[in-house]
Amino acid sequence: MLLAAFQFPHIDELFRWEGLFFGDTAYEINKTSLLVLISSVMILLIFVGGSRRMRLIPTKLQSILEMTFEFIDHGITRDVVGKDAGRFTPFLGSLFLFILFLNFWEIVPFIQFPPTARFAIPLYLAIQTYLIYWYLGFRHNGYRYLTGHLFPAGVPKALYILVTPIELVQIVIVRPFSLAVRLLANMMAGHILLTALALLTTYALENAPIIAIGPFLLNVGVTGFEVLVGFLQAYIFTLLTAVYIADSIHPDH
Amino acid sequence: MHDILLAVQQAGELKDGLSSIGAGIAYGAAAIGPGIGIGIVVGNAITAMARQPEMSGPIRTTMFLGIAFTEALALFGFVLFFLAKG
Amino acid sequence: MNVVFAALLASENLNDGVKASNPILPETHEIVWSVVAFVLVFAVLAWKAWPAISKSLSDREAKIRADLDAAEGARVEAESSLETYKQQLADARGDAGRIIDEARQAADDVRRELIARAEADSADLRTRAQEDIRQATERAMVDLQARLADLSIELAQRIVERNLDRDTQIALIESYINEVASTQK
Repeated sequence: MLLAAFQFPHIDELFRWEGLFFGDTAYEINKTSLLVLISSVMILLIFVGGSRRMRLIPTKLQSILEMTFEFIDHGITRDVVGKDAGRFTPFLGSLFLFILFLNFWEIVPFIQFPPTARFAIPLYLAIQTYLIYWYLGFRHNGYRYLTGHLFPAGVPKALYILVTPIELVQIVIVRPFSLAVRLLANMMAGHILLTALALLTTYALENAPIIAIGPFLLNVGVTGFEVLVGFLQAYIFTLLTAVYIADSIHPDH
Repeated sequence: MHDILLAVQQAGELKDGLSSIGAGIAYGAAAIGPGIGIGIVVGNAITAMARQPEMSGPIRTTMFLGIAFTEALALFGFVLFFLAKG
Repeated sequence: MNVVFAALLASENLNDGVKASNPILPETHEIVWSVVAFVLVFAVLAWKAWPAISKSLSDREAKIRADLDAAEGARVEAESSLETYKQQLADARGDAGRIIDEARQAADDVRRELIARAEADSADLRTRAQEDIRQATERAMVDLQARLADLSIELAQRIVERNLDRDTQIALIESYINEVASTQK
């Protein structure tokens, strides 16, 4: 078997990067952090630069900015959190753009590494969402936020033995953890898949060029699919954040 | 004694292999349920959209939420795969 | 069996030296930089970008609403002035009809007057002509009678001169009178 000799590199080679600046300190910048910083600068350049002079008849860039705003403001904030929840749009919009730009590094040629595939970023964003919805829940509903969740109305008293621990685990652990892991695992899986296909193509080119077309075409298809995944994961992370915020503000629904 | 030493040398590989197998089985098992679940979610969402095309927007949003919650289980398995293997 | 256990135990020892590297555990410096990046993005966008975009959208909405209102007002106004114009047009048409009627009436009057005058003229003419004829006839009759009397006197003179018998005289007179009467007719 020709391909039997194919050796997949250790997983660390796909996700661990050497420090580029400030090595071995708490401010070490490796490829991940560098991409994160570049992304935020890009977002700021596009959005702050594009929105400096707004015209009544929009230019193309302005249309894109406005469509993004409408997408967040109508599609997520107003539909999910509530009609009068416009004050959450800046946070949700920034969150969406941040994740979207990070995800798209996965398919940028020569970079091809989504920083969101490192647990640090999804974990931070999930913990942030977690803190925000706990804060909002207690601020809007007081301690009833917790009791309303742990002892839901309309459930027979006897079932509280079963329901309460599940709900507790649900809101304390499962929510933030699944939020972080969903983004991480999707991007990680996509990155592994793309790397594996690319390495397979190279290996096949060296040893049996004819069959290289298979993994190559698959790689192209999966790259297209990852565009969709990158967008969808950014959308879902933002949507779930909005859902949790809505749940904290109006726990009855 | 020589045999045992050889076995000890190979034991590290044995453990790695076993944990890889375990991780693989864990991930495979974790993917079964969400696979079926996502199928049900999307199928029903399509039925609902076909029945009431004017409700497509909210249904799509809810469908993605449903997929996200269902998919989370498979992703836990995915993460467990790395934890078990590492 | 013992060999397997021994192997597993030994493998623990062998792996102790290697640092357990797990690709999914977060690294502190990556968390630090992602916090910095996200807070930066959120703060600057919330400060500069989102309000500007939101304001632009609401401005456009207000503009479009104002334009639509203005257009609605203009439409109502146009409709009312169209109504006025239609009214005026109908009035003008009525006026024109009335004027034409009057003109026709006047023309009729003029025609009728002309005809009447012509008829009166011709009747006048005819009466005058008849009068002339009658006068001429009368004059002729008078002439004739005068002539007749002259002739009668002459005839009588002649008769007297010739001494005719009575019968011949009578016959002569009668025939003469008949002649005159027939002439007179």
